[in-house]
Amino acid sequence: MGLFPNAWTVTLREFRLRVRSRVYLVVTIILAVVGMGLALLPVALGALGLDEPSSVSVYAASPDAEESAAALVASLNAMEDAGVEATLVDDDADARDAVESGDLDGLVTVDRAADQDLTFDLFTDEGATSGLVFTVNSAASQVAVADRLVRAGVDPSQVGEIFAPTAFEVTPVDPDAGGEPDNLAPRYLIATALVVLMFMAIITYGQWVATSVAEEKASRVMELLITAATPRQLLLGKVLGAGGAGLIQYIAVVGAALLGLVLAGPLSQALSGDSGSPAPDLSALNAGVLLVVGLFFVGGFGLYATLYAALGSTASRQEEVQNITGPMIIVGVAGYLIAFAALNVPDADWVKVLSFVPFFSPYLIPTRMVMGEIAPWEIGLSFLFLILGALAALWVAARIYSAGVLLYGQKAGLRSVWRAVRVNR
Amino acid sequence: MSLVVDTISKRFGDIVALDGVSFTAEPGRIFGLLGANGAGKTTSMRIVLDILRADSGSVTWQGKPNIEVPRRTWGYLPEERGLYLQMTVIDVLRFFAALYGVPERESTAEVEDWLERFRIPDYRDRKVQELSKGNQQKIQFIAAILHDPDVLIMDEPFSGLDPVNVQLLKEAFLEMRRRGKVLIFSTHQMETVEELCESIVIVDRGRIVVGGHVRDVKRAMNRQVVRIATDGHNGTDGLAWVESMPGVTLTRRGQDYLELHVHSDTDPSSLLNAALERGEKVTRFEITDPSLEEVFIEHVGRPAELAEDRHLAPGQERS
Repeated sequence: MGLFPNAWTVTLREFRLRVRSRVYLVVTIILAVVGMGLALLPVALGALGLDEPSSVSVYAASPDAEESAAALVASLNAMEDAGVEATLVDDDADARDAVESGDLDGLVTVDRAADQDLTFDLFTDEGATSGLVFTVNSAASQVAVADRLVRAGVDPSQVGEIFAPTAFEVTPVDPDAGGEPDNLAPRYLIATALVVLMFMAIITYGQWVATSVAEEKASRVMELLITAATPRQLLLGKVLGAGGAGLIQYIAVVGAALLGLVLAGPLSQALSGDSGSPAPDLSALNAGVLLVVGLFFVGGFGLYATLYAALGSTASRQEEVQNITGPMIIVGVAGYLIAFAALNVPDADWVKVLSFVPFFSPYLIPTRMVMGEIAPWEIGLSFLFLILGALAALWVAARIYSAGVLLYGQKAGLRSVWRAVRVNR
Repeated sequence: MSLVVDTISKRFGDIVALDGVSFTAEPGRIFGLLGANGAGKTTSMRIVLDILRADSGSVTWQGKPNIEVPRRTWGYLPEERGLYLQMTVIDVLRFFAALYGVPERESTAEVEDWLERFRIPDYRDRKVQELSKGNQQKIQFIAAILHDPDVLIMDEPFSGLDPVNVQLLKEAFLEMRRRGKVLIFSTHQMETVEELCESIVIVDRGRIVVGGHVRDVKRAMNRQVVRIATDGHNGTDGLAWVESMPGVTLTRRGQDYLELHVHSDTDPSSLLNAALERGEKVTRFEITDPSLEEVFIEHVGRPAELAEDRHLAPGQERS
C-alpha cells in the first residue's frame, strides 16, 4: 500500500486543526513580536538614551598635573567606540556634586605624588568592572607612561612616535578560503544562530508530534486510525502536518527577527539621527547556504520527528510524553553541543566524520559550510545519508508505533515496547 | 463467499489469548461473538482486521488472506470509542471516509443520510465533544460504515446506549444486513443476540466452547424447556409428580408456574398428556429451546455479565 494519498489526508487534518486553533495563532504572534523586539532592542535602548556616552570630568589637583589632565581629556575623547566624553574642569566640588546627583558619570582627579609620579582617582557610581572604569584606567596608564618617559629624559616630540600605532597585518594561509579574518565574527554568529535555531525547532516541534500522537492514543481514536491507514501513512502524515504548522510558526518568528535586524539601522537613524549600531553582516548567508540549511532542516526534522512520533505512541497518558521523549532530547543536545565544539575547529577530522552521521549532520553541515571548507560532494553524500536515515527511522518507528498504539495501562518504556514489537509481528 | 477464521492462535508472552479459534460468518447474516471480558473477543477481531497478527491459523475473506484484502473491506467499531473531540461531526466523518478513499461529495451526502436516520441531523456542524456519549457512539458507528465495507466488525456496539438508541442501532444493523454485509459483533448481552443473530460462537479463555447456528447450538443442549401451570390454588398445586417423570428436572419453581428441563430423549408433550390424564386443568403449557443465557452458563459455568476472565496479557489491556 502506498504512502499517499492517506498520508496527505492525515497531514491536512493535522495541519488545519493546528493552524486554525486560537492557541497557535496567539503563540505565533507573541513569539514573532518577541523575536522582532529582541532584534530591535539595541535601537530601543538607543532611543531611550541608555547607550549615550558617559560624561566624565577631569580635574587637576595641582598645577604640575594640569598638562597631564589635559592629555587625559584628549586621550579619552580620541578613543573611538569607548563612548566617553571628557571635559576639563577647574573646580572639583561642583563636579563631585554632579556625580553624586547622577548628572555626571565620573570625576577623575589627577595629582602628582611626592615621587613625581602621577596619581589618578576616579570618583564614580560605576562598578569596578564597568566599561567606564576600564576605559579611564587604560587612558590614564598611557598618560602616566608618557609622563614617566618625559621625566626620564625622552624628548616629548619622540613620545608621540613611541605611541604611534604599530604596523600589524594578518595574512591568511589561503586568501580564497571563506574565512577571511575580518569576516569571522559575523560568520561565527551566523553559524551559532543556525545551530541554536535547528536545535530549538527539533526539540519544540518534535515534542508537538509526540504529544499529538499520545493525544490520539489517549482519546482512543488510534484504534480506528490504524484500521483505516497504515502506521507509516499515519506517521508520515503526522510529521508533515505538525511539522508544516511548526515550520510556518518558525518562519514567522525568525522572519520577524530578521526583519527587525534589517530595520534596526534605518530606524535608529530616524530616531536618534546617528547611524547607531551598523546592520549585522549577513553576507555569509548566501543562497547556497540557505538552500543547504533548508534541506538539512527538513531532513533533520523528519528524522527526529518520526522518532518522536514513535516514542509518543508508547505513552498511555499525555503526562508521560515528557519522560518518554527524554532519549531524543539527549541525542538532540548531543548534536547541539558537538556543533558548538565544531564551531572553532570546523575542519577537524572528527567533525568531518560526524557530519555524515544523520543525527548530527543537520547541525554540522551548516556549521562546516559557514565556518570551514566543505566540498559539494560531501554535502550531497551527507544529505543522502540523512534521507536514508529518515527512511530507516520511518521503518523502525512504524514498528514501534503499531505495537505502541495497543499498549495501554503499563509503564511505557523501551523494554515494554520491544516486547510488544516482538509479540505483535 | 464468506469470512473464514481458521484455527487462529495468539500468545502474549506466557499467556494464551486465543487457542485455535475458528468460525465462519456469511454475508447477509449477523454473527455474534459471545464471551466474558477478556475471553478473547477483541483479540479475535483485531486479528481479523490485521491490527494484530496471529501466531498460527488464517483469516480469509472470499478465499483471500485478510492481509491481502483492501482495507476498505472492513468497517470497525472498537470497544474503546474515540473520535477527534475538537473537530465537527461532519469533518471527523469526512476525514475517516477520506482515509478509505471516499470522495468528499459522496461522504457528505452519506453522512447527512445517516444523521437523519439516527435523528441527529442538527449535529452535523457541532463539535464532537458537545455530543452526549450515546450520540458520539452513533457517530462512531457512522465512521465505521461510511466507506460501505463488506465486513462490519463491532466490539460491544450496544454497551452504554439507552433503549431508544439501542433500537436505532438495531435498525441500522438490519439495514446493513439487507445490504448483504457480513456483520460480526461481540457482546455479553444475550437478549440482543437472541434477537439479531443467526449464528454465534461462545468464547471462553481463548477457546471456542460452542458455535454454529443459534438453533443448533440450543438443540445441542439436548433438552427443552417446559413451563407448565394448572388451575389450582397457586398454579402449581397437583404438579408434584412431574419431578419423578424420567428425563425431567425441575429447574425453577415460579409463583404460579414450574419450569422444567426435559431431556431430548423424552417427548415434552408426554408431560401434557400425563397432566391431562391426572385430570389437571392445564392453564399454561409452553415448550421452548433453552435461552442463550442458559447455553452460556452451561458452557462457561457462570452468567456472561458476571464472568470476568482476567487472563490479560502484558501489552494488552483486554484481549
